[in-house]
Amino acid sequence: MIELTSTPMILVAILGTIGLILPLIYIAKNERGSNAFYATITFGALIASIGVVIFKILTDNVLPSALFSKDVLVDDTFGGFFAIALLIVAIFTTVGSYNYMKNKGNPAVYYSLILLSTIGMVLIAYSTDLVMLFVAWELMSIPTYVLVGYIKKDPSSNEAALKYFLFGALASAIIIYGISIAYGLTGSTNISEVIHGFAVLDANMVPLALLSIGLFIAGFGFKMGLVPFHMWLPDAYEGAPPTIAALLAAGTKKAGFAATIRVIVLGTVALNMDWTFALGIIAVMTMTIGNIAAIMQKNLARIFAYSSIGHAGYILIGISIAPFSDIGIQASLFHILNHAVMKGAAFIAVAGIIIALGTSSLDKIKGLGRRMPITALGLVISLLALAGVPPLNGFWSKLMLFGAALDAGPVAPWAPWLAIAGVLNSALSLAYYAWIIRKMYFEGETEKRISEPKSVIAVMIFSIIFIVGIGIFPDPIIQFAGTAAPTISLSASP
Amino acid sequence: MGNELIDFVIVSVALLAIGIYGLSVKRNAIRMLFAIEIIINAANLNLVAFGRFIPHSGGQTLALFSIAIAAAEVAVGLSLIIVAYRMYKNIDIADFRSLKG
Repeated sequence: MIELTSTPMILVAILGTIGLILPLIYIAKNERGSNAFYATITFGALIASIGVVIFKILTDNVLPSALFSKDVLVDDTFGGFFAIALLIVAIFTTVGSYNYMKNKGNPAVYYSLILLSTIGMVLIAYSTDLVMLFVAWELMSIPTYVLVGYIKKDPSSNEAALKYFLFGALASAIIIYGISIAYGLTGSTNISEVIHGFAVLDANMVPLALLSIGLFIAGFGFKMGLVPFHMWLPDAYEGAPPTIAALLAAGTKKAGFAATIRVIVLGTVALNMDWTFALGIIAVMTMTIGNIAAIMQKNLARIFAYSSIGHAGYILIGISIAPFSDIGIQASLFHILNHAVMKGAAFIAVAGIIIALGTSSLDKIKGLGRRMPITALGLVISLLALAGVPPLNGFWSKLMLFGAALDAGPVAPWAPWLAIAGVLNSALSLAYYAWIIRKMYFEGETEKRISEPKSVIAVMIFSIIFIVGIGIFPDPIIQFAGTAAPTISLSASP
Repeated sequence: MGNELIDFVIVSVALLAIGIYGLSVKRNAIRMLFAIEIIINAANLNLVAFGRFIPHSGGQTLALFSIAIAAAEVAVGLSLIIVAYRMYKNIDIADFRSLKG
């Protein structure tokens, strides 16, 4: 039994209670309460949760790193690292929604669904059992289907929700099928027992184990936006409310990576086979297709959707070389945290632009640097960080990822090519980021300044501080990512 | 006993194939939802059948969870389809073309 005072249980208690109470308050109150009221409660719950996670890690109450456990949940720094990243994203979404949700109706359900989805994401990062992982996966997914279609009168929100739902439900079905095969082969649903079982499998059963791993890659890959499974992603991110697009791009995608590192990486090590080359090919395809498609888009939300596909490719570099390099997973974790903040800030900036101008079309943002200076500045900083411009946090994590790929060169001759592809893609991505910046600052006439949404400004200021701060002092976060990263090598058996 | 297990697995793989066929060929949202449900039920059948032959009840527990979760998922999916139908008077996803790039 996992103790009730461990981090995941406390998070479930805080977020779950608030998430379930909000709709009840909505029903019980006569005047229905305002958007601000629910946003404040949600914000408080999320801040309390992130406080608990940080306090637990600082007081050494957690296990060092991604240990296996006989329980369904384990309280370790790997889960804590993801919990911090995911809770930051949920806070961004909540704060950004404060202005976006004005006069949109049903605020209680909206914030409640954000909280429930956040529990699901956090539990994925902490789970060490496939049953728990699947339940948490669905707890993450089902609220986001509703949230994407939240603007009921808007045909594109509706269409996005339906497409997202069909692909998301398919991903869940594929995952449960993969779990059923793994369970049939090993007689257990505990991840460590599954890995032990895979390691001692009969030779003629190994193809089935590979099928199971392949189904996991496909199922998680749908949420992460890896390339053969990415076709729903731009539509869903463009049609969704932009605050929810932030939650999807920076939140559910990262939870997919948490599940991948827990299951696929550790699971395939037991099979002692060269799975990494396949992941490397997926990584290169993902970043190339994402970045090339992004160049041709005319809408900010859609550009960021493709750019987040590209970044999934960068993160996958670190995962694919994990057995050959000590810093592979560490670099991936660092980039996951950075990308969560950068992409969250970019989508919240899009939300601010949509609140103020009613559109996120690239033609309509001419002169944005003069009309909405703070939003534009936040957007520019996050774009430069996404491109990997030196003094910002995105530079350090990309440097670590590409360095890890070069580091793995002596063992895996194909690994340096990943670094080359990554550098070329970063240069390519700088092209369309620079195009956006040019539109905002160097085009248009002398526009008047218009009032910017206050909550969006708050998110922008926080993310500018975070991005520049981590860019100047990256060491603490890199060390934290190092303690959170599980050590993986082909020789070590679980 | 072994022969019985392989029968279940064959049915389950057949259901998986039917589900994937339905998803890749049909463009009606409800048909696609049904195809996904068939895949989930193929997995449930697998879990229950394996659970019968393995001294560990986790499979049946997971099958129960999966059935309950699939019900929640269908509820959300059908409500999304109803909203789409009210807007377009149609549930053919090939006709939903407001998002393109």
